[in-house]
Amino acid sequence: MTETKTQEAGKTRKHLVSAASSSVMIEFTQVNKWYDDFHVLKNIDLTVHQGERIVVCGPSGSGKSTLIRCINHLEEHQSGSIVVDGITLNRNLKNIDYIRTEVGMVFQNFNLFPHLTILENLCLGPIWARKISRADAEDVAMKYLERVKIPEQAEKYPEQLSGGQQQRVAIARSLCMNPKIMLFDEPTSALDPEMIKEVLEVMIELADTGMTMVVVTHEMGFAQIVADRVILMDKGEIVEENEPVAFFNNPQHERTKMFLSQIL
Amino acid sequence: MAVSDNSKKSEQIKPKEQFDFFHDERVRSVLYQLLTAAAVALVAWFLISNTSKNLEARGMHTGFSFLNVAAGFDSYFKLIPNEAGVGTYGRIFVIGALNTLYVSLLAIVASTILGFFIGILRLSSNWLVSKVALAYVEIFRNTPLLIQIVFWYISVFSLLPRVRNSIDLSGGLELVLLNNRGLYLPWPVPGDSLWLTGIALIVAIIAVCVFRRWAKASQDKTGQIVPTIIPSCLLLIVLPGAVYLLTGMPLEWDVPKLAGLNFSGGATLPPSFVTLLVALSAYHASYTAEMVRAGILSVNSGQYDAARSLGLKQGRLMSLVIIPQAMPAIVPPLISNWMSTIKNSSLAIAIGYPDLVSLFMQTSLNQAGYAIELVSMTMAFYMFVSLIISGLLNIYNKRIQLVER
Amino acid sequence: MTIIKPVESPTVTAPLSKNSALRWVRKNLFNSVFNTVLTFVMLYFVYVAGKGMWSWGITDAVWIADTRRECFAISIDGACWAGVYAWFDNIFYGRYPREELWRINLGLVCLVIWMVPLWLPRVKAKISIGMTTVFLYPFLAGYLFSGGAKGVFMQFMVTAAIVCLLVNTLHAIVGVCSGRSLLEFIVTLFGKKNASSKRGRNILVGLFAIIFVVIYIWQMNWTVERIPWTKWGGLFLTLVISGIGIAMALPSGILLALGRRSNLTIVRVFSTTFIELFRSVPVITVLFMATTMFPLFMPQGFVLNKLVQVIIAVCMFNAAYMAETVRGGLQTIPKRQFEAAHTIGLGYWQTMGLIIMPQALKHMIPNIVGNFITLLKDTTLVSIIGLFDVLGMLRSISKDSPWLGLHKEPLVFGAFLFFVICFAMSKYSRHLEVKLSTSHKK
Ligand SMILES: Nc1ncnc2c1ncn2[C@@H]1O[C@H](COP(=O)(O)OP(=O)(O)OP(=O)(O)O)[C@@H](O)[C@H]1O
Ligand SMILES: [Mg+2]
Repeated sequence: MTETKTQEAGKTRKHLVSAASSSVMIEFTQVNKWYDDFHVLKNIDLTVHQGERIVVCGPSGSGKSTLIRCINHLEEHQSGSIVVDGITLNRNLKNIDYIRTEVGMVFQNFNLFPHLTILENLCLGPIWARKISRADAEDVAMKYLERVKIPEQAEKYPEQLSGGQQQRVAIARSLCMNPKIMLFDEPTSALDPEMIKEVLEVMIELADTGMTMVVVTHEMGFAQIVADRVILMDKGEIVEENEPVAFFNNPQHERTKMFLSQIL
Repeated sequence: MAVSDNSKKSEQIKPKEQFDFFHDERVRSVLYQLLTAAAVALVAWFLISNTSKNLEARGMHTGFSFLNVAAGFDSYFKLIPNEAGVGTYGRIFVIGALNTLYVSLLAIVASTILGFFIGILRLSSNWLVSKVALAYVEIFRNTPLLIQIVFWYISVFSLLPRVRNSIDLSGGLELVLLNNRGLYLPWPVPGDSLWLTGIALIVAIIAVCVFRRWAKASQDKTGQIVPTIIPSCLLLIVLPGAVYLLTGMPLEWDVPKLAGLNFSGGATLPPSFVTLLVALSAYHASYTAEMVRAGILSVNSGQYDAARSLGLKQGRLMSLVIIPQAMPAIVPPLISNWMSTIKNSSLAIAIGYPDLVSLFMQTSLNQAGYAIELVSMTMAFYMFVSLIISGLLNIYNKRIQLVER
Repeated sequence: MTIIKPVESPTVTAPLSKNSALRWVRKNLFNSVFNTVLTFVMLYFVYVAGKGMWSWGITDAVWIADTRRECFAISIDGACWAGVYAWFDNIFYGRYPREELWRINLGLVCLVIWMVPLWLPRVKAKISIGMTTVFLYPFLAGYLFSGGAKGVFMQFMVTAAIVCLLVNTLHAIVGVCSGRSLLEFIVTLFGKKNASSKRGRNILVGLFAIIFVVIYIWQMNWTVERIPWTKWGGLFLTLVISGIGIAMALPSGILLALGRRSNLTIVRVFSTTFIELFRSVPVITVLFMATTMFPLFMPQGFVLNKLVQVIIAVCMFNAAYMAETVRGGLQTIPKRQFEAAHTIGLGYWQTMGLIIMPQALKHMIPNIVGNFITLLKDTTLVSIIGLFDVLGMLRSISKDSPWLGLHKEPLVFGAFLFFVICFAMSKYSRHLEVKLSTSHKK
């Protein structure tokens, strides 16, 4: 996988967004991570440019979640370097705080704050981490709620919403921080089919705005429409990395073929 | 999604990349820990320096040498012999600790049995029974133990008759007698060859274990349920009984006899002991009952249906399916209830039962001073006991986890 | 196979036949031979116990008498409640001067007014109300109860407490009437709906400053007579000790619990040691430690009175118990909530204060109430080291010459008193538990 390939992919994209500028947003170099003795990430090299959409797939337990959780330092890597938005993730707490405000993340189980209303959920980050006044934060929050098409739910509590709605709120919550990068960890796998659709629609719209996205998902349809590159992970390694057309139609590795045959 | 209006605010200054001493995680961690340690050390230094100055000013001595000094008093209830003016403070400590353990162990046994009983009554399908059990639990749990102890002592045990009119609890046999001086029990005096009976008992127990294992194995093999309870009981009674009779009944009972104004012989338990035992047992049984109830209710009701659909009868259903599943929920709180029983036995001080606190923290402290040593020794004793008990709990939890895996 | 649901089937309540009561009795009391026997045994037992208590406590009891002798003269078998009645004020207020009792009552009324909004459904900002109860009310109550000259600090705090009480009450009234917070209400009252919120806040701050100054000036010449702690006693003292105990235990318990979960080794070791130390020793030993060792710990010439010693001791062991309660509450919060908070850039204390604690506290309320019940019961131990709390007062009735030897009735009354308080609270905490476990669903 080379730079040129990525840029070709950028040109052939169906979206109207201008081609990704070459500024690097995420860069993994020789990253290794262990859980005790268990080697979860093995020599990961990965570069994500601004505006790129990466889909990560792979069998269960292959380290996908671990990979993207390293990007906002929810997990710590033990060797190699991870540079996000020009900042190396090390033990500098200021760096970590900064990265976390710049990187949004959406989880499989939504992880909304059950004791706060939707609006309060959305305003919390802007008010406390970005130090924006409450009124401004509420304006921004309402705007994003409209974008995810549930402005009328602002005063409700998360438990009163359907799964799909909760996940859209979770996306809006991350967007309220005005992040440069969005991470998605299987955002649809806890949802019913029709809810999957509404969440994917929101994600596709988000992709259209040029957001840098790293998405762990098994929704291959989504990958084909949106992704600039698809990555297959297995046993902690990046096995194959390619643009979607090539990835699905002409997989290079045995393991990719096997994975695709199981999932499609 | 370049939102223009608040993008301005998100333009934070990008932090520096190189090593930043004050924002480094490890530096911070060490710093916080040092700060905590320093704060604790400061407090400790403050207390210790004040204490040493105070001790000096008051001319008080420190050190544990006083433990070898003879104490000028004696405990009226003790499990090891002692004499006022001869026994040392160290011996007083041992007496107090033994007294505490003695009454609390008995209370633990009694409260556990009573608690299980009441807990099961609580679950009875008989409305009246379960409500009476509920009333018991609520009354005992919602009033202070201290009031209960004092109440038992003042209004039950101090109203007991004098020695001459002792209440005979053994129904005319004059074996177990209760009066305002305490509870009088016959006490066994072992003869020379009693050890043979003891061995017979051990043999019987081993035999029962082997028999039960064999019974289970044979049930696994043949499917026939071998009755175990009655043969085991028989074995346990008959074998030691036979040996006991054959060796010529080498056990005598020292029976309390009225001699002059008091009983002699047998064993005497002072009223304060009996009060404490009764009060502790009654109080902690109410907690145990709730634990038992909650534990049994925590077993999924589907388990009953499943077991019944397998054709198990009520008794076996409880013993094979429900109780084993309820135990993991019952035992941990039960064990901490035991710990509270031991701690609460310190309320003995209110009615003058010579437990560790009353002998050591009160009487010894008044007589000898040495506040720091006495207080810390007493606390250390309870901590030690609590360590043992939490050790028990850990062992139990480990075993449960092994089973669950 | 298709199942067509019929048009809404009318819900039929089970017919209330005349036999239903009979059937209930049959089903719950006499459904087997064994149960029938059991029922009769129990009935007999309840009858005997109930009759004994009824005749001793009610029918044969003496309610009005001047001495125990008189009681005996009227009825020898019944309870002599007259003695308890004669000591009523002592049981509740100790030896607090009788003409100053209004201060205690006023203090309690203030507490009730302060805390009622916590239970009103439409009132907002309950956590702040709770916090002010813990941090400001004690100053007001402390001054009311002990009196004497106020220092500048005390004047300031008392004023703050009064202002806070006023604001709280107004806030609660506004909240109940309009469902809004006082802040919003006042801002709209001034018609500044469109003005920037800064303007509104300025108005508010100004308003509060004026109120504060007015109250400060008013309370400067308001003093009440000094009453030494030795006159405090009875249920009042019990409530003061356990109230302070629970109020101080909450913040320190939270800190200890966080310390115990911390990944900073030294912090964790210290917190764990403190918690385990105080949890494993009996309360009475902690009290003895307070009275015998604290005087040695203090700088020379600095004397803590016994009440303060006891309160410190109560706070210490209760903080340890509370820490375990808090830890239990924290364990109910899944790790995902921490992660979600981190991903929106919240730091440790923000995560704890905004996300974790509010949720955990809600889960903990039943246990905190349970903790308070335990503490209330444990507070009776202070009578052993010579304070005259409820139990101390109850036991001194029997030493009062007209009532010499009257032991049983005061104790029964004390038990009854505690039973009423503790039973009500435990019922309430159980009710909360049920409510919490259901309210988290839709
Ligand atoms: N905290 C942890 N401690 C130890 N091992 C862990 C931990 N978290 C994850 N693992 C292990 O690391 C491996 C990778 O986990 P990860 O969650 O990244 O997988 P995944 O690819 O996201 O799988 P899935 O599709 O099931 O979400 C798994 O084998 C898992 O068991
Ligand atoms: Mg995963």
